[in-house]
Order: sequence, then C-alpha cells, then structure tokens
Amino acid sequence: MTLDVFLQHITNGISLGSLYALIAIGYTMVYGILRLINFAHGDIFMMATYFAFYGVVIFSLPWYFVFVFAIILTGILGIIVEKTAYKTLRDAPKISILISAIGASYLLENLAVVIFGGRPKAFPTPDLFNKVVQVGNISVQRLTFIIPVVTVALLFMLLYLINKTKSGMAMRAVSKDHETARLMGVDVDKTISFTFFIGSMLAAVGGIMWALKFPQIQPLMGVIPGLKCFIAAVIGGIGNVTGAVVGGFILGIGEIMLVALLPSLTGYRDAFAFILLIVILIFKPTGIMGEKISEKV
Amino acid sequence: MKKRNLILTIISIIVLAIFIFYADSNFDAYQVRILNLCAIYTILGLSMNLINGFTGLFSLGHAGFMAVGAYTTALLTMSLAAKEQNFFMQPLVAPLNSIVWPFLPSLLAGGLMAAFVAYLIGAPALRLKGDYLAIATLGFGEIIRVIFTNTQNITNGALGLKGIPSSTNLWWSFGIAIVTIIVLLSLINSSYGRAFKAIREDEIAAESMGINLFKHKSISFMIGAFFAGVGGGLLGSLLGTIDPLMFRFLLTFNILLIIVLGGMSSVTGTIISAFVITIAQEVLRFLDEPMNFGFAVVQITGLRMVIFSALLMVVVLFYRNGLMGSREFSWDKLIKLFKRNPLVKGGTK
Amino acid sequence: MSLLKADQITMQFGGLTAVNNFNLELNKNEIVALIGPNGAGKTTAFNMITGVYNPTKGKIYFEGKDITGLRPDQITSLGIARTFQNIRLFKELSVLENVLIANHLNVKSNVFEAIFKLPRYMKEEKSMISKSIELLDKVGLGDLKYEKSSSLPYGKQRRLEIARALATNPKILLLDEPAAGMNPKETEDLTSFIKEIKEQFDLTIFMIEHHMQVVMGISNVIYVLDYGITIAQGSPYDIQNNQKVIEAYLGVSENDA
Ligand SMILES: Nc1ncnc2c1ncn2[C@@H]1O[C@H](COP(=O)(O)OP(=O)(O)O)[C@@H](O)[C@H]1O
Ligand SMILES: [Mg+2]
Repeated sequence: MTLDVFLQHITNGISLGSLYALIAIGYTMVYGILRLINFAHGDIFMMATYFAFYGVVIFSLPWYFVFVFAIILTGILGIIVEKTAYKTLRDAPKISILISAIGASYLLENLAVVIFGGRPKAFPTPDLFNKVVQVGNISVQRLTFIIPVVTVALLFMLLYLINKTKSGMAMRAVSKDHETARLMGVDVDKTISFTFFIGSMLAAVGGIMWALKFPQIQPLMGVIPGLKCFIAAVIGGIGNVTGAVVGGFILGIGEIMLVALLPSLTGYRDAFAFILLIVILIFKPTGIMGEKISEKV
Repeated sequence: MKKRNLILTIISIIVLAIFIFYADSNFDAYQVRILNLCAIYTILGLSMNLINGFTGLFSLGHAGFMAVGAYTTALLTMSLAAKEQNFFMQPLVAPLNSIVWPFLPSLLAGGLMAAFVAYLIGAPALRLKGDYLAIATLGFGEIIRVIFTNTQNITNGALGLKGIPSSTNLWWSFGIAIVTIIVLLSLINSSYGRAFKAIREDEIAAESMGINLFKHKSISFMIGAFFAGVGGGLLGSLLGTIDPLMFRFLLTFNILLIIVLGGMSSVTGTIISAFVITIAQEVLRFLDEPMNFGFAVVQITGLRMVIFSALLMVVVLFYRNGLMGSREFSWDKLIKLFKRNPLVKGGTK
Repeated sequence: MSLLKADQITMQFGGLTAVNNFNLELNKNEIVALIGPNGAGKTTAFNMITGVYNPTKGKIYFEGKDITGLRPDQITSLGIARTFQNIRLFKELSVLENVLIANHLNVKSNVFEAIFKLPRYMKEEKSMISKSIELLDKVGLGDLKYEKSSSLPYGKQRRLEIARALATNPKILLLDEPAAGMNPKETEDLTSFIKEIKEQFDLTIFMIEHHMQVVMGISNVIYVLDYGITIAQGSPYDIQNNQKVIEAYLGVSENDA
C-alpha cells in the first residue's frame, strides 16, 4: 500500500469515525443519566434523515433551513420517546426498561415503513458538499473534511455545555444520583428531557451528514449504525462524552482499515464492531475512559 | 392427590394426541402449518424464558442459537442431490457432503451444536451483567449470522439452503413441545431451578449462599440454547428453506414479545402467549400487502408490525407482569375453580 | 490456631480507603463484635472476608488456609456464611425456598439427574426438604414456610436471613447489624436467639451491631473501627472504658439512638 492510498483510507476512516462519534455521544449521555441503552437512538437518527429528505424534496425548501428544522424536530422526537417509553418506567426493573427501549425502536422503524415506505429513497446532496478536492495525490469529497470539523466543533460546544453551564451542572448532578439531585433543587425530569433533546439533535446532525455521504435512506438504516455506535460508546467508556468520540474514531478507522488491509475479511466488516466490543468488555469493561464503579453491598 | 394430577395430565396428553390425529388428516395445509408454528414458538419461547425469565439473564442472542440448530439440522438431513444443487458456488465440505441422517438425531445434533456455541459464547459473555450482557449476546447473535453469510462451503452463504426435507409435522412439533415443557418444568422445580431463580432475585445473595454464578448461568444458557437449536431445526424443516437473513434480531424480538406478553416467569404464560401471538401474526396478516413468506422470514412490512411493537410497549408500560406474571396453571387450582360452584350459595371455599 | 485470621487487610475505592490494615482473629465458639460509626468500613470488612470484595492488600486465612481472593460461593462452601445489612432475601420466593437454595451447595447430583429425577437426586431433594423444614421449625418460622418471603414482617425477615445462612452449614456466621430497626423487646429476643444458635450449631459468630445492649451483653471480644482504622480492641469492659472509643463512637451513638 502506498502512502497516498493509506492516507486516503485514513481520511475515510476519520470521516466515518466522526459520524459514529456523533451518534455515540447520544448513547453515552443517555446511559450516563438513566443507565439505559436507548435502543431507539439509531432510529431517531434514521428519522432525522427522513425529516430532511421531505423538507428538501417535497417542500423544496433551501437545504440549510431544512437541516436546522430537521435537527430541532429530531430533538423533539427524542423527548417524545423519552416521555412515552422511559418516563413511566423509571423505577421499574431494568429488564422492563430495556424491553420498552427495544419496543420503541421497533415501533419507530415500523412506523417509518408505514409512513415513508419501505423502499430506499435517494437523498439529495447539495453541490456544496459534493465537490472533490485535490490534496496532494489524494482526492477527497469536500464532505469528508466537513464531517470531522463539524463533529469536533460540536464536541467542544457540548463539553462547554456540560462543564460550564447550569444545565450541564444539572445533567452531571442527575447522572450521579437522581434523589440527591432532586434534593439539591434540580428538576430531574426536565434535565432528562434536555439530555434526550441534545443527544437526539446530535444524532440528527450525524444522520444528515450520513445521508449526504451515503445518499440512500431507508427505515432500517439506523439499526446497524445504532448498534455500532453504542459499541463505540462502550469502547470509549460509557457515560463519558469524550470517550464516545474516541470510541467512534477507533471503530470508524478500524473498520476502514480492516477492509483495506485484509480485503478477504470484507464480509466480516459488520462483525468487527461486535468482536471489538467483546474484547473490550472482557479486558476493560469500563472502556478506555470510563470510571470503575463497583456495586455497593 | 398427586396421582390424580398425573392421571389428569396423561388424559390431557391423550386428548391432545387425538386432536393432532384429527387435525393431521382434516385440517388444510395452511392451518396445519400455523399449528406447527404455534408448537415451535412454544419451544422457542420456553427456551428463552428459561434464560431470561427464570434465570434473569437478559440475553438477546436467541436467533443465533436458532440459526445454529436450523443449519445443523438442515445440513444433516438434506439429501445428497439437494446438497449438490445448493452448493454450486463452492462444494460442501466433507463429511457433510456425504452424509444424510434421520430427522431426530439431526435435531438433537442441532440442539447440541447450539448448546456448544452457547458454551463458547457464555465463557466471556456470562461474566457481564444487565445491559452489557444484552448487547454482548446481541452482538454474538449478529456475529453468528455474519459468519454464516461468509462460510460459503458450509452454509452456502447468503444464498441459504433450499430443499430441506419437510420432516416437521404435528407429531414432531407437538411431541417435542411437550417434552420441552416437561423437561423445563422439571428443571425449574428442581434444586438447580431454585438456584436459577435465586440468581434472578439477587446475584450477590445467591453467590453468598454458595451458588457458583458462572456455572449455573452457563447451565441455564446452554439448556436454553439447546432447545432454541431444536426449535430452529424444526422451523427450518417446516419452511424448507433457510438463509442468514431469517435469523436477524427481528426473530429474537418475536420470541421476546412472546415471553413478555405471557409473563417472564411463567411456563403457562409462555405457552398461551406463543399460541396467541403466532395466530395473531397470521390473522393480522391482511394488514400488510400480500406476501407469501413464511412467518419467520417476514420482512418488516408495515402496519402489522407497528401493532406488534406497540403491543410490546403497551404490555411493558402498563401490564408489566404480562398475562400470567409468575403464576402457573395447576390442576388443583382448576378443580378449585370448578368446585366453587356459583349456583351453590357460598360454594366450597 | 485461630479459626479465621485477617492480616492487614485493606480496601480502597478510588481515593477512599474504606478499611485500612485491619487485623482480626476469631477463635472457635467466640462471639466477636465489630462496632464503629456509620461509614467506618465495617460492612466493607465483611465483604472482604466473604469474598464479595477482593482486598486491595492483605491476606485472609480460614482454618490456616489462605482464602484471599476466592469467590463468595467458594468461601461459603468452606464454612463462612453471612447476612446482609439491608436484608437480601430472595423476595419473590417462599420462606422454604429461600432455605432450600442455601442447601444447593451440598447437592452432588448433576443437572441431568435433577431433570430426570434420578434416584440419587430424589434422595438428596427429600433430605434437603426435611432438613430445611426442621431448621425452620427450630428458628420458629415453621408455620410460615409457604409464605412469600417478602410478605414476612421485618423481624421475621431478619430471622429468615439468619436461618438461610445457617442452612449452608457454616462454622462461622457473620451478622451485619442483625438488630437494626428492632425495638427493645425484639432486640432482647434476638440476643437470646443468637446465643441459642451459637450453642445449637456450634458456631463462631462475628457481628456488626450498633445496639450496645446486644454487643456488651454477648460478645467476648469487640473491635472498634473508625474511618477504616482499628482504634481499639478488647473485652466489653475495656472498650466501655476506652477514651478513644468514647470520643469516636459511644458518645455520638448515645445521642443518636
Ligand atoms: N463499592 C463501593 N464503592 C465505593 N465506595 C464504597 C463501596 N462500598 C463502600 N464504600 C465506602 O466505604 C466506606 C465504608 O462503608 P461501609 O463499609 O459500608 O461502612 P459501615 O458498614 O461501617 O457503615 C463508606 O464511605 C462507603 O461509602
Ligand atoms: Mg454497614
């Protein structure tokens, strides 16, 4: 493999990894605050692409307007999912909550089939993103650069939100202990909804960029990325936002490199994430950046 | 008392046998097929309930175990001619390419293979808890599917297997369902079953009472996988064709729906629910555009599945214990119910 | 030789040292108490001895054998049983089932013998049931054996937890605040109950307890823990007159209780 080819792969890996990272953040935030795998997160990501698709194709509105609108709409969808599927089960056994999460995920997918149709749709990509840029000997779609930049920018904004603002402080308090947070005057329910709102909006950004990069959308498109991004969150250390981004990059670059270096294993690409997950869970269950928590007896 | 119950049980089994005898010759092919599916889903539901409901392990890899069972059974029972027809891309490996086994040993081999795979998966996965176990088993289920898609010379890859002899009939499916019920009830009510329930109730307390968590979780996981494998083998033989796509997470979801609706720690509930859900899936088929796939290869097809996913959510949100919770059918209860004759004032208390 | 010996065991959680260089010796048929303010590390010491936590440092010997780092179930099979500060019964299961489960560690039959009800298993099951019923009668829970364990009143739940621990055939019984939440009458009953089972089952008892009435009444030796450090050990008389203890613990607890 020449250096150019190698760089080409790395660029692709970073770009894919950035997308994984954006979705992984949502998993990690929800897990941090509710100790729950939000199985519906991948489907929220899918819904965002349809919102954007309908805005552009059916209502022929300008893309920048549509994207902002779709992102906000997706955030609201996240809140709705939280209120219906999770809120009433807050004190229920864990297994009930997980089942509800799986149910919510299936419900969204099937609703999408009914409402949007099961056939894949071609996602329109504004020319702005499509231009191919020549850097040295490698040629890259402009989008490939835009994606990581947007991801990193959003990561810094999110870190600022979590660490420096009042809402962020509330989120951190709730993630430590709901009861204590309540006693300190934090509105726990509002904070949880806010977390879903932010996490879903990030998934929407990821979804729209995903659809720009792989311009075909269908109701099940969120399933595999969803699972992989949860895995990215676990690899990075669940509950830790920076960890989720690191995990996303590891997974994205790892996948691209696996296919590039060992083409005979291409068929196993989707298994790569799961194998990585199992290896991590066995050797470092708390992930790369997660804190160790041992159950108090 | 015990003797009376045994007699009643035997009588019911005989009645069931007579019914099967009747159904076998009088029902049309479609009805027979649905009955077969009911019995197979009973087996699958019970096997998943042993792991998830009775032992409290949140395992989502059931479709993977079914795939192992279905492929093993299919590859052992298929005729040499059928094998040759299927494997035109790459020839089937030896010794599979030269053997044809009868149905029962093949089913058992399918179950044992699934149990063996469960043993391999359990070694790392059963050290995890809760969500992590769920996602790891789900991952293993997917890995099994990906492997089956890529091992062209064993599974025929994405093309799947066609022409699996249709040995599954009502006798086999109901016979094996009854054996499954008896074996699992006996297990659940034994000392081992109590250990499983202890693990479900409180792992730390169970371990402090001398129960080796890993050993007992493995036992439950492997026995559950065994029956899932057998169920998968029966299903493959009923449908006649299998391919890796059939064993996606959707299949696990269907079984999860059955055990949640029936009640996570009730054998009775699972049996009732397996019949209700299987029949409902068929009855509600009109909601979708006509698609002549078998029940299990159903693509995600709209309204019907919307109803089933909504049903799952409604059950978890509002009727967390499902139909039966942890209650079981017993002859004593039934007889008591009849004895409390509403026509006689006061009845027998 | 002492029955149980802890040698400089230490438990750290992140930056917090919950128990620091704890030494312990239990001799056969003694009743030893562990006292100290809340958060002193008493339960953590129990958890290390029973294998729930793996000590950061130090060794634990049972009958001269190093048991450090063994799993809880292995330690229980060797003969160390426990109860929990916040009762941990198998809530959905009956009183009898709770005790039967504690018998499972002695089952020799494998799972197939159990499923197919082969003679060896049936014999074991039968003797397990009669032994458990006998035990429940002994501790005064015989009439409640088919009740769901979580439906029992609080005091009976505590007693059931002790019975469950006894069913594992322990040599040492560890009780974590057995009198917590009990009124004086119940506490008195419990005290005599502990003395009784000690004689009946030939036990050595190590218990955490806040009620001084219980501790001073029945212990041979008392250890006092404060912020993970053993600040005193000795006979009830010594402890009652130890200035450090009075400052760290007794003074506070009298106001509390
Ligand atoms: N698993 C754990 N993780 C972190 N800290 C713990 C854990 N278990 C106990 N601790 C801490 O160790 C200290 C001692 O606790 P504990 O042994 O329960 O005290 P006691 O039983 O004397 O009241 C407390 O500060 C407690 O918060
Ligand atoms: Mg304590």
